[in-house]
Amino acid sequence: MRNVFIVASKETRTFLNSWSGVFVFFFFYLVSGIFFSLSVLSYARISMESLKEGYQTIEGLGLTRYVFSGLFLNMSAVLLFLVPIITMRSLAEERKLQTLELLYTYPLSDFDIAVGKFLGLVWIFELLFLPTLGYLWVIHGLGGVFDWGPILTAYLGFWLLGNAFLSLGLFVSSLTENQVVSAVVTFAGLLVVWMLEWVGSAVGGAGAVFFKAVSPFAHYRDFTLGILDLSHVVYFLLFHFFFLFLTMRSIETRHWNS
Amino acid sequence: MPEPDRGTSSLLEESPVLARMEDVSKEFGGKRVLNGISFELRKGEILGFLGPNGAGKTTTMRILTGFFPPSHGRVLIQDEDLFKKPKKLKRRIGYLPESVQLYGDMRVREFLEFVADLKGLRGRKKRQDVEEKLTRCGLWDVKHRLIHKLSKGYRQRAGIAQALIGNPEILVLDEPTNGLDPKQIIEIRNLIRELSSERTLILSTHILPEVSMLCDRVMILNKGKVIASGTADELETGLRERHEVVVTLGPPAEKMAVLKLLDGVPGIERVGIEAGKEGVLILTLGVEKGRDVRAELSRMFVINSIPLLEMRSGHLSLEDIFMKLVVNEDDGPREVL
Repeated sequence: MRNVFIVASKETRTFLNSWSGVFVFFFFYLVSGIFFSLSVLSYARISMESLKEGYQTIEGLGLTRYVFSGLFLNMSAVLLFLVPIITMRSLAEERKLQTLELLYTYPLSDFDIAVGKFLGLVWIFELLFLPTLGYLWVIHGLGGVFDWGPILTAYLGFWLLGNAFLSLGLFVSSLTENQVVSAVVTFAGLLVVWMLEWVGSAVGGAGAVFFKAVSPFAHYRDFTLGILDLSHVVYFLLFHFFFLFLTMRSIETRHWNS
Repeated sequence: MPEPDRGTSSLLEESPVLARMEDVSKEFGGKRVLNGISFELRKGEILGFLGPNGAGKTTTMRILTGFFPPSHGRVLIQDEDLFKKPKKLKRRIGYLPESVQLYGDMRVREFLEFVADLKGLRGRKKRQDVEEKLTRCGLWDVKHRLIHKLSKGYRQRAGIAQALIGNPEILVLDEPTNGLDPKQIIEIRNLIRELSSERTLILSTHILPEVSMLCDRVMILNKGKVIASGTADELETGLRERHEVVVTLGPPAEKMAVLKLLDGVPGIERVGIEAGKEGVLILTLGVEKGRDVRAELSRMFVINSIPLLEMRSGHLSLEDIFMKLVVNEDDGPREVL
């Protein structure tokens, strides 16, 4: 387990020291900040208007739901663009620099390498979204009162969704030594996954059930609404295992492929 | 600069076997890259792998360092199977892959500390080991520099330093002087020579003088097979004994007639015939060990009124041996020793 942490902390450090790291952080806060400010402003406008009309509150229009559910749905779309940039260099760069060859000959197992890399990416992602807790503080400062339940499930869902995407990106990164290819293919893969739900609504019937079941967004949406369903958690865990398994297989291909 | 004569010391014959490859083969998608490689590595020796590109040097080294398992055969590190206890046994081997670029965005010291972490060193032991390797490899002055800003020679030193971390008994260096300028080559060779006093080394190269300069023992690989092995001296004498006679005949020598005549001379194992300018024929004859056919040949040509223009005994340098072995390899494996 110690080796996993050593590989992971190296992965995180490398990313934070790189320009793509700076870009990802900058872009993420810029975009999520804009989404947040816009939804807070529009919530304020709507509630002012309702006050003018003489209502105290509007049924079904809670602050938490209006601001945070929307914010989390939007941020999940941002992940489509950011995850490929986070994962693109992970294994691809090591392959290109031939440092992967070194890792293979250190006293490390393939599991240590794959899981260590993945954990490093997860840490990067956590460092990226944990500061968004600051938005809660802003709302609190503005005198807002919110419902903790949905916020916690939304964070859990966002964490699971992001990690699932990272596992896909890590797998793609293990297939090539070209970072650009890695990023583009990861983006395409995530886009296909994103569209599965639309495909579901287009085909209808049994197909709709199937596509909804495999689409991460269908599972993610419930989290943002404050619904904690074990089947969604299980779905995301399976997603992780599937791509980590593929990544380990991909690392193993060196045994029969020169 | 004077090169110390490393020769074979009979001491090496008695030193214990550190590593052993037993009938190792490797296939990639049905294509056989290595074919039945066996050798022993004795404590304290420097073994050189020599061979053209694609001969299987890197594949052999990768198997020995635990990069991937062989398709057949096994690798023993002091009588334990490398692929049964990889985590334990990989610690005994340090490896410098060919043309590895290392992590450019890390500082030299930071990189070596990362390697020390992965090799399971902690605390004071880790610090001491890293500092010792920095000094040993002449990296002390650049320890805070980013690796991608280092010159190639220094980067190679950092590569050797990472292999040395954890004090492995066996050091495997894949083309350590490849791509360096002459001054850097000499520096790296000196470093390797220094290291050899306390460690067992395997290095691969396609530079022939390097082998005789550095190595106690040479293995020549071609097309995935060991085609010769021994000390550089042994290889030379071994081949010189089955020496070669080069004969130049003037017109009207005829190919067929000459071949027929040569058939009658005992001790000639191989005949190469080449037509030169103005009807001249050049024969390259491989002669059986310990036999001198020159007198008989000259008499024969004179009797048959074929002008004998020149006759000389071929002398083989390590380079010739290498070329011969590699080129003649299609005739089947030859035992030099």
